[in-house]
Amino acid sequence: MASAGVAGEPFFALPFGDIVNYFTPYTAVLFGFALLFTLICILSRPEQQLDVVFGTDAYYAKGVTGKELRFRRFMSIACGCATMAAMVSGDVFNFTLFVSMVGVCIIGIVAAVKSRHVLDAAYNYGIIAIVATIPLFGGAAITLATTGTLSIWELSAMASGMPLIAKMLIIVGVMGEGIAPFYAAKAELFRAPGAPYVIMIHVSSLLMFLRVVEILLTV
Amino acid sequence: MLVELVIAVVMGLLFLGIHRKVIARIQGRPGPPIWQEILHTLKFSFKETWVPRTASTLLYVGIIAVAMGIWTAALYVVLAGGSILILFGIYMLHKMVEHGVGLSPGSPYAKFGGIRSVISASSEIPLFAVIGGIYFFTGSLMISDLVAYQADNGPLLLSILPAAIAMYLVILSKMHYGPFSIVEAKEIVSGYQTEHFGVWRAGLQIGDAIKTFVLLYAFVLIFVGQLGPVLLLVAMLALLVSLSFICAVSPMLSPYDSVTVQMVAICILVVWLGVLVVIG
Repeated sequence: MASAGVAGEPFFALPFGDIVNYFTPYTAVLFGFALLFTLICILSRPEQQLDVVFGTDAYYAKGVTGKELRFRRFMSIACGCATMAAMVSGDVFNFTLFVSMVGVCIIGIVAAVKSRHVLDAAYNYGIIAIVATIPLFGGAAITLATTGTLSIWELSAMASGMPLIAKMLIIVGVMGEGIAPFYAAKAELFRAPGAPYVIMIHVSSLLMFLRVVEILLTV
Repeated sequence: MLVELVIAVVMGLLFLGIHRKVIARIQGRPGPPIWQEILHTLKFSFKETWVPRTASTLLYVGIIAVAMGIWTAALYVVLAGGSILILFGIYMLHKMVEHGVGLSPGSPYAKFGGIRSVISASSEIPLFAVIGGIYFFTGSLMISDLVAYQADNGPLLLSILPAAIAMYLVILSKMHYGPFSIVEAKEIVSGYQTEHFGVWRAGLQIGDAIKTFVLLYAFVLIFVGQLGPVLLLVAMLALLVSLSFICAVSPMLSPYDSVTVQMVAICILVVWLGVLVVIG
């Protein structure tokens, strides 16, 4: 594969029907990291967040229990699975699809939190993430229209490769899913209790960005 | 391979000690001895340790293993001449360590550190100027290829200076007591590390030591090329002292100023790289 100079020699390909996933040293590291944090979400219980009452010596604890815990854990695991799939995807469309799914799951992770501030931030994040799907899928559509394929393997072998405009649209789309400079709302999402689940928000976005860099340099 | 790891830990802790010493001398203080960080790590290793009652136990403990694991992997990537994309991926994943360490105990101080760590995500953006610049000029991101390229064409430091400055900024943003160290500012006690003590803190120190060693070593390999052991050490020390100097004379920025300064810097560097690309 032409990406050998970018992400190392591929270990192996894992086809699911016409969907071909591939593992290079780079994508394997990213996949492993997504898997690790998904396992942490499955196995660990959330912390009890302490908050000080300003102006006094008092403090109070905020916990995550019952239905809220189960729903947020489920959304975190869904987010982890989507992230893992995006890390090894050998197809631009599947990658964009899983990036969008991560955006939806991130809103789900904090949707059950009973805090107006956090829900406002989730709403703001949701708007940006939804708008970002336009350049994301637009980039994939332009790629298909101009090259006739969405396979990263085939695109990397082509002399012309992916059009520059498609690359730019895809990177803007991934940035909109939660990387600087569109990540301000995510800092507010981090105020929600439930550390293992909240961390998955940033794990998924960072991994998406790391993967898109590899894809764009490869194709 | 274990020998290299031990050397990296000891050298990294020594570098952190030298960093503190240089800052202190520039500021007119005697400062601690340069082996102070080694003593700290040993002391923490034998202190009484437990997990706070409010913590998410698995995350609280597991994130220490992640911190040491990712930087150990980074060390072997550099030693094996692997892809700098993996190295920089690991650098970005270090953010998760800051989040995990900060958010897992339930302490408000540690949590503020964790939230600031999200805000400071802009410090990762210069990485992509480094990656883009290097890939455009050399056609490869493998460290072994970059070393071979520099043996034939001279140091990349001269040909793609803006990418070198971008990576310098990246390293600076991870140095203790620096202008961008908002995640461990003293107004939030020790920031994201506040609630990790004893053996947990020793683990974080070891991760930090390997990180410092790997980043300095990678900078020299990527922008200067392969050097002999003595010259390599001198180059790493020179780089470290220059970073310490900046940390000593610049105040810690507020979180939003920190983001703004880094964004402006990266915009300038990207334009500069663009000009080089057009000329080249």
